[in-house]
Order: sequence, then C-alpha cells, then structure tokens
Amino acid sequence: MSTATSTPTGTGREPGRKVAHKHSQPSKRGRVQQRWLPWAFLAPTIVGMGIFTLLPIVASIALAFFRWDIISAPTFVGFDNFAEVVQDPTVRVSFLNTIVFVVVAVSLQLGLALGLAIMVQEKLPAWLRVFFRSAFFFPLILSAASVSIFMRYLFNEQFGVVNWMLSLIGIPAVPWLTTPGGSAAVVILVYVWQNFGFSFLLFIGGLASIPVETYEAASIDGATGWRKHVYVTLPLLSPTTLVASVMAIINALQVFDQPYVLTRGGPGDSTRTAVMVIFESAFQRLEFGQASAIGVILTLIIMAITAAQFRLSKRFVFYQ
Amino acid sequence: MSGTNGALRQFTRRSALTALGAGIVGVTAASWPRLTGADIPGRGDNSLSIAIMGTAADAAARQKVIDAFAKVHPEIKVKVQAIQAVDWKDFFTKILTMVAAGTPPDVVYVATEGAQLFAEKLAHPLDEYLRRDAADMKEYFQDVHPSLVEAFMYKGSLFQLPIDWNAANMYYNTASLAAAGLERPADNWTHTDFRSTLAAMKKAKPADFTPYYWTNRLFGGVVPWLYANDTSFLKETKSAGGEWLWDGFYANDPTRSLRSGGYQWLEPNADDPRVFESFDYLRGLVKDGLGVRPEEGGGGALIGLFASNRIGTTPAGGYWVQGLHEAGMTENDFDVQFFPKWRTQRHQFGTAGYAIMKTAKDKDAAWEWVKFSSSLEAMQIVFPTPNTTPARRSMVNQELYAGTGPRNWKVFYDTLDRFPTSGPIPAPPQQAAVETALMKNVSLAVSGDERQLKDALSSMQRDLELALRRQP
Repeated sequence: MSTATSTPTGTGREPGRKVAHKHSQPSKRGRVQQRWLPWAFLAPTIVGMGIFTLLPIVASIALAFFRWDIISAPTFVGFDNFAEVVQDPTVRVSFLNTIVFVVVAVSLQLGLALGLAIMVQEKLPAWLRVFFRSAFFFPLILSAASVSIFMRYLFNEQFGVVNWMLSLIGIPAVPWLTTPGGSAAVVILVYVWQNFGFSFLLFIGGLASIPVETYEAASIDGATGWRKHVYVTLPLLSPTTLVASVMAIINALQVFDQPYVLTRGGPGDSTRTAVMVIFESAFQRLEFGQASAIGVILTLIIMAITAAQFRLSKRFVFYQ
Repeated sequence: MSGTNGALRQFTRRSALTALGAGIVGVTAASWPRLTGADIPGRGDNSLSIAIMGTAADAAARQKVIDAFAKVHPEIKVKVQAIQAVDWKDFFTKILTMVAAGTPPDVVYVATEGAQLFAEKLAHPLDEYLRRDAADMKEYFQDVHPSLVEAFMYKGSLFQLPIDWNAANMYYNTASLAAAGLERPADNWTHTDFRSTLAAMKKAKPADFTPYYWTNRLFGGVVPWLYANDTSFLKETKSAGGEWLWDGFYANDPTRSLRSGGYQWLEPNADDPRVFESFDYLRGLVKDGLGVRPEEGGGGALIGLFASNRIGTTPAGGYWVQGLHEAGMTENDFDVQFFPKWRTQRHQFGTAGYAIMKTAKDKDAAWEWVKFSSSLEAMQIVFPTPNTTPARRSMVNQELYAGTGPRNWKVFYDTLDRFPTSGPIPAPPQQAAVETALMKNVSLAVSGDERQLKDALSSMQRDLELALRRQP
C-alpha cells in the first residue's frame, strides 16, 4: 500500500508522520505539475518525432499514390506506382539482392561478433580486452562513404593493395569490383567489417551478465569447452542474440552507402539494393511517388521480418 | 547543516537548469541563421544567387570575377554558392532538392549532362536577351564553335552560353609509346591502329602496366567508341527551329547547314548491330589484357596512375592538363591525339554554362551576369590555367599551355574545327536514369563471353525503354 493511499490508524500520530502524510497528498498545483510535468519534458522529443519521423512517414505513404517530380504539381495515380514497381525487374532484383545480402551479411556479422566476443572475454587478459573492444568498435564510427571510397582503391583490380598482396603469393589479379560475384563479396566484406563491432559489444555485455556459477555448475556436471558454450552460453545469450539479430537485420535491409560508393549497384544489378532503387527513383529519375511506393513495401517487409523474429523468439529465447 | 546542503543542492539544480535553458536559447539564437538557411548566399536579400559545382575555395576563386562584374554593374549584388558533389548528376540532385525546398538559386552552372533537364523543367530561355543584345553578343559567337552552342539548344531555344567544354580525346604516355618503338599516332589513326598501339605497349611494359584505362560513365566511357562507329546507345535526332540564332550569329559559318533546334534522344538504340560491334571491340581489349574492365566513377584518380607511367592511354578532355602538370608530368611526358577513327571520327564532347532559373528573382540581372561571364575579360579571369578547355577559340592558345603541355594542345579545339559533326553527351531530360541504365550494363557487356554481351545489351535496351517511357 502506498503512502499516499494509506489511512492512518491509532491515536498518537507523530509529527513527522503527519508531515509525511501531508507530502503524500499534493496540492492542486502539485497535482497539475505531476500530471503535466512529464509531458513538458517529453514534449520536445514528441514534437521532434512528430515533425521529423511521423510526418515524413505519413507523407511518404500518401506520396506513394501520386506521381510527382518535385517541380510539377503531384498527380493522383492510385495504385499505379505500386503496380509499376512490382513489374519493374530492377526493383525485383534489388529486393532479391537485399534479402541475399541480409542472410549472408547478418550471418557473418553475428557469427564473427559472437566468436570474437567469446574469445576476447574468455581468453584475453583484462587490459587486452579493452583494446579489442575499442578496435572492433572503431570501424563503426567511421563514415561508411569514406570507408567505401578507401576500399575502392584497396580492391582495384590493377592497382589495388589487395591484389598486390595476393600477387606476392602467386595469386593472379582478382576483378573484385567489376564482376558480379567479386563486387557482391566486397560489399558484404566491407559491410560486415564495419558493422560487426556493434554486435560484438552487445555479445560482450551479454557474456558478462552470465553468472560464473552457471559455468561452474556445468563444469561439475561434466560440460567442458565446446559443450559448455552450446549448453550454457548460447541459451543464456539468447536474449542478447535476439536484440543483436533484430538490429542487424533491420540495418542490413537498409544497406545503401557501401554498395552505392563501391559499385553503384553494378556490375549490372548485382549489388543494387532496395534502398538504392529508392534513391535512384527519387533523386535520379525524379519519380518520388514510385520511390515512396518502394519505401512502403520495404517498410512492410522490415515490419514483417521483425514481427516474425519476435514471434519465433518465444521458441528459442531463454530468459533467466 | 542539512538545510544548508539542501539549499545548496536546490540552488545548484536551479542554476544548472537556468544555465542549461540559457545555453539552449543562446545556441538556438546563434544557430538561427543556419537553422533557417538564412546564411545561404543570396538568401534573404536581393543578391543574385549563383550555384556552381565545387568547394568553398572554388566559390572564393570566383570573387575576382564578381569584383570585375561589380565594376560594370555596381547595382547588381552577386553571391556565389559552391555545392560540393561527386559528379554532375549528384550536383543536379542537390539543386532539385533546393527547388523542392523552395530555395532555388537564381543562376546555376550546368553541364551538358543536365542541359535538357534544366531546359525542360527549370531554366528560362535566353532568346529574348540574345535578340535584344545581338550587337554585344556577336563577338562571343564568332569566337565560339557552333557545335557547343547547339548542345545548349532545346526545341529551338537557347538556354545557356558555353563557357568551357571538353572532348573525349586520347591521352597517351609518351614514354610508354617510345618504349613500344612507336611514333606519335597519326591524326586519322583507326581503332585497329589503336589496338596495335596497345598491344605494342603491353609487350614493351608487361608488368604493372595497363595499356588502356577507361571508366564507366557517360563521358569518356563507351560513348566515344559508339560515336566513332557512327552510332549511339540512344537514337539521336534533332528538332526543328533555331533559325533565329543560326541566321543571326552563324549565317556565314561553313557548318550552318548542320545546325538545328537542338538534339533529341527519344528512343533507345542498344539493339543496333553497331552498338554490339563497338562493345565487342572493347570486350576484345579487355579479354586480351589490353584494356581494363571499367569501374564506375570519375577519372580523377587516374591522374596519379597516369603520371606514374602505369597507364598507357586513356580518353579525357583538356581538363586533365593541369592535373597532370600538378602531378609532376612535364610537357614531354604526355601528349594528346584525336580519338581513333572507325566509321567516322566524330567525337563526344561536353560543355557547361550558366542557366537562368525560371524562378530567378531578377532575370534581367541574371542575364547581365550570364553575358558578362561569357566575355573575354571574365573568361580570362576564370581560366588562368588549363584545368578545362575554354569555349572561346581565341583563349585556347600557346600562352595557356606554356609550361604545362601538351605539345599538341591544338588537338583540343581542332576536335570541333576538324570534326564539326562531333556531338554532345547524350543527355535527354531523363539523363540520370539513362546514365544509370548505361553504366549498369557496360561492365557486364565487356567482361564476359559473347552471350553475356548480348544479354547485357538486351538488358540495356529494356532499361533505356523504362528510362525514356515518359516523354516531356
């Protein structure tokens, strides 16, 4: 029972008790403050979210039903934009590329992050852990565009450092950025290198929260090495894995910078992603309605995948 | 004691909140011009706002022209806004977002890539002003090749005056050529001569050397080869009209009969057998290790590679000269020749000039700026070094190239004088979509077998149909 709702009993109330009771019944001004103050603090965020997040979302959904080139007045076209988008082979390929990219990149990102987190947390001394945490997180704070420009030089077929290093061990020059397979591999590689640090930190946090006693108990029961991780670490890390995978998948579905700067979506459409076609439709073709339609479809896909993840999580996520 | 501490805490919290509030108000007030965009040059006053592609340093470099302009037109205040962009497509995108935001500049420096986009949707024609000031403008047109002017004609009206331009000529490394035991190529060298040259270069310098380097883009990529083979990936037609300009300013020009109301690119042409032939030639160069698979992007990075003798030849315009000079090349280290001949020796070129926006606050003032910028005085201020080719023939002279090279700098303007049918970059109003359609298929077309080439050209045809499906 809270102080505010308790009814004092007995006869000998202490002065202090009275004061406490008095404080638990706020004045009218206090009640108004209690009611509105949280809103006052939240207001800037709510206004900001409304203007910069909610309004563009609503406007974008509305725009999907118009044809608009920025310059002329918008024309209502119903579902034409959606019909054109669905029939456009480039859009279809870009969505397929995005799904393949998500599957491969997120698997690599989470696998690498988890493996390195376990290694760093268990095998390294404390002072070295700090170094690796920083080192692995460092790429994430770099601009994706800058990294990609740098990587273009590194992976240049004729003059890149990567091929030069390969040549030292007798491997002929690989056309990294000018063949579909090579360019897709480089885009994934660069993306994973730049983003796995975030998942790595999440896993480090998750590993730190697993009680040592659980491992000790597992050891007493005979679990060692690999089995310890399979039967203790992975189940107890499942909430972290859920969060990491949800965030990784949402981010990967929106990949743009790396393929745009590295390959411009090419060769052909081999590295063209969904967000790239949104950009190209809007700012290159000046078909903002179509771009919005693609954006709406992508948003629905992201929502569906995320919802599926949370639904499936009931089966594999173990909460202590 | 507790009371004192409480008061101190209360005082501190209040002070902190007050300070925080004051700080927020102060920062907001200080940032107000940025938040409202009032610090954008020309915004909020009557200045003529001019957008160019470049850096703040480029904008500052124009100050000398602004000062010279101010002496002639003290009543017109000018502010130059430099917009950084990766390429012209990126620059136009940024201008369009300014238009969408309701803050367009009054005048924009536009290259061929965006000329028809601006003419169709954003720019104001110069016809009335040219008719009015015909006497003043006569000297300009006498000094500028009509091909450049025609590139800015659209549906019978002129929208820009060419200020600078560049053709896709062929640069070659003189040391690599000498190592291959070859002399300077003949003016009318052919595509087979070119291939032989590359083969000789490769034989002479087999390691860490690329005989032909090219990039995948609209200027200097595959298009010059298509033009030389008397074709293009878009069907090129011309619109009627424009007699007012040609008869008024170029009546006695020997190429008068070639001139029109402007270029039109209305249909795709990637299924033309000559397009296949041209691509197949490039595919052969790649297959035999004479040329690279082209990467997408600009050619700026090539300067260092060319200057370090790791590239034998590459197509580029006069804009490369200053860069090579700054990279340490002397006038003996490199030279330039016409693009190799095939069925024709028609070249590809691009040009740029100022476009007056339909929304310009004061179009008369904007015209005065455009007119002044095309004057010999202004152009000499803007182009003190050969970092591009000036549109005025009289400025492309020994003096401009002294100390930098190339020895055969005459090639630059001779490209137009000797090949007057040379054409502009194929850039309809849907240029960005067209460029994407071209670029995305070029790498595939030249990197595989014949079947892959056919598939890539079919894909290009389909993509171009989509890009051009809505005609203005």
